[in-house]
Amino acid sequence: MGRTTIIEQQQRHGRKVMAVLPIHYPKEMLTALDILAVELWGPPGPPRGPDVGRIQPYVCAIVRNALAFLAAGGADRVDGLLFPHTCDSIQGLATQAPDFGGWGKAVFRYLHPKGDERPSARRFVRRELEHLAVDLETFAGKPLRPDALRDAIELHRRIRELRLRLADRRAFLDMTDRELYTLLRRGEFLWPEDHLAELETAVAGLRDEPVQRGVPLMLTGIVPEPMAIFDAIAEAGGWVAADDYAGLGRRLLRDEPRLRDDPFDTLVDLQFAGPPCPTRTINQTRRLEHIEGELERSGAVGLVIHEVKFCEPELFDVPLIRRLMAERGTPVLYMETELEQELSGQAVTRLEAFVEMQAPVRLEVR
Amino acid sequence: MITRRLQYELAGQVTGPILMALENYRLQRRRRKHAPKDHPFGPPIACSRKMKDLMSIYYYQGRWADGAVPVAWISSGFPVELMRPFGFYAVYPENHGALCAARHMMPDLAAVAEEAGYSQDLCAYARTDIGSVLSGKTPLGRMPRPDLVAACSNICQTVLYWFRTIADHFGVPFFILDTPYVYGDFKDHHLDFVADQLEELAVVARDVSGRHVSDEELDRVNRTAKEGARLWGECLDVSRHRPAPWTAFDQFFHMAPVVTLRGTEDCNAYYRELLDELNDRVARGIGGIKEERHRLLWDNIAIWPKLRELSWLFASNGFNFVTATYTNSWRESVPLWDLDDRVGSSAKMLSNTLLNRDLRNRFRLMRELISDFGADGVVLHSDRSCKPYSVGQYDLKEAFTRELGVKVAVIEADHADPRQYAAEQVENRLQAFMESFQ
Repeated sequence: MGRTTIIEQQQRHGRKVMAVLPIHYPKEMLTALDILAVELWGPPGPPRGPDVGRIQPYVCAIVRNALAFLAAGGADRVDGLLFPHTCDSIQGLATQAPDFGGWGKAVFRYLHPKGDERPSARRFVRRELEHLAVDLETFAGKPLRPDALRDAIELHRRIRELRLRLADRRAFLDMTDRELYTLLRRGEFLWPEDHLAELETAVAGLRDEPVQRGVPLMLTGIVPEPMAIFDAIAEAGGWVAADDYAGLGRRLLRDEPRLRDDPFDTLVDLQFAGPPCPTRTINQTRRLEHIEGELERSGAVGLVIHEVKFCEPELFDVPLIRRLMAERGTPVLYMETELEQELSGQAVTRLEAFVEMQAPVRLEVR
Repeated sequence: MITRRLQYELAGQVTGPILMALENYRLQRRRRKHAPKDHPFGPPIACSRKMKDLMSIYYYQGRWADGAVPVAWISSGFPVELMRPFGFYAVYPENHGALCAARHMMPDLAAVAEEAGYSQDLCAYARTDIGSVLSGKTPLGRMPRPDLVAACSNICQTVLYWFRTIADHFGVPFFILDTPYVYGDFKDHHLDFVADQLEELAVVARDVSGRHVSDEELDRVNRTAKEGARLWGECLDVSRHRPAPWTAFDQFFHMAPVVTLRGTEDCNAYYRELLDELNDRVARGIGGIKEERHRLLWDNIAIWPKLRELSWLFASNGFNFVTATYTNSWRESVPLWDLDDRVGSSAKMLSNTLLNRDLRNRFRLMRELISDFGADGVVLHSDRSCKPYSVGQYDLKEAFTRELGVKVAVIEADHADPRQYAAEQVENRLQAFMESFQ
């Protein structure tokens, strides 16, 4: 089932549907209020309407495509739109679309703080969550019950746990990367319990012996688009052993915060618990340590830095990541892809060459 | 430490002023030898020399600042008036980027950053500064090493990534002052967050500087800073007269003290003198350009490497930029500045910047500027390096044309990178824009 069918199905069940721009937001709160979150990563592919021209071509295509999509009525089936405070461009879109045309329904913003955890930031997140809860209660037409929020927190914790198990046992999973990432990305629009059921099926299929053969790689970036990148890696003889994509690996928690009596306190903990993400302006040293840790845990022998063009938060970290990899002796491939276009032949060739060059290394490691 | 402090004080009070005096003497002699060229501008603003002296001495003194006084590298939207009482010498990487661009050093410095892996798609100021830090090259001779790097998100989030990179390079603390973006009205919990961070900043500033500062001292500098911003606003308002006694291109240079030296008596004294001169020009009917036939509003950061060409192009066609959203930014919060509530009103002012508020607010502000200054056209600089300033400009263009009937041009360029400036394309577009007024 595709997004449209899912949206209609959930609405028939009496649920509201919220389109959500990337990246970090309190999904637990939406679930507790019976609101289906449908993430809007562009969508990828050619712009869906002429309004793409309302934003300069030097702005990231996630934002340009989103405006074109919204203005062309692509999201008219949903009931509201949530903008997390991810970057300057999404911040700008959050005023441009509602104020100058493109979106006429309910709008919500979630402004998470920039920088590392500190007392002022924790207090702010708490109050921002409380304000968002009040707005969402009106939108959903029901109160946010603490027990429902606790249940939703537990549900999403279970989802993260299974996704983490799949990540950690990736070599034992008999699925192609394309299949696995299609499954994981269905979490962007499925009702969480339905996503959980799919994850449980996948986890049940984990083998006792490794089934992935070839060169293990780690990928980092914002979003794995175009998804053909996985086909190119597979055809070249590689597989994705770990990822640090903002919408995927950076949402997994190795140290889940303990549940608190007040579920809002748990949501505050969750805000600061994720792996370092440049869109939250986290300390770069921590980010490098995280990438290094994932490389070591997964046994990946090369890193593909896969960026969407014009993504400033990501681009500022690239030189440091490259330097770290050079110090470690870990090969790096830097790729910039256009969200609006298919994977180019040149990109495929570079991926093939990169994977082929790591093959002897892999044999030594194994 | 004592020797360094002595060098620092001598640079600011003795050697700097002497060098400036010698430079002025040399320039005067050179001017006497050459007949003035024909140009479309009014007589030069006499204060300009003083402004150059003020800033040159400040930069010159900076060469000896590290080791003598605490040094903070801060963003242009950061509350320098809250740092100054702790004795910090403030360095503005954005100003430095603009200076490098104006001196045509940007491409070489950016190349150093690009070579190190920083993408050409990143802000040109950031690439310039990072290149300068990596290469040690700067038009200032030497930049003092920071003890603290601090950035405020009220102008963009780019400064957070860029300044974090600089802090990381030097291995010094990095302070983020996060001002939640304002959609519609201010929200109390957003302002409380900013106020909370200002309290945290005071602790960081105290720890880094090793200096305890009284509330009285903070209030005194705050009062001085408000007066400086108010005077700057008065200087801008003089352009409501016809002809305007100066141009926004002049303002781009004269804004340096209110950004850099805000909170000092030197800054205020300078703007008092400038204001007197501007009022005198109004009284005598002297314009910023010789023949002001049309009045324009400039939106976005200046195109520093092409400022001269653009000012000539407009002035020679009788177009004067009488107001600019960019220069207005350092006065727009003065009405919110409550000297009896330093932290609370600072939180509100810091959140109130043009780039920290939604497009409706921007449209309202620009409409007021158009009305107050009698502008009959708008030039929107679509700045490749500044996405928060540029996203939404095409919608603003439509709105101004539809609702106000003013003529609007959008030019694609970059505030610092001349490689992103297609001269022929920009000039053709602007010629067509100017012809539409006939």
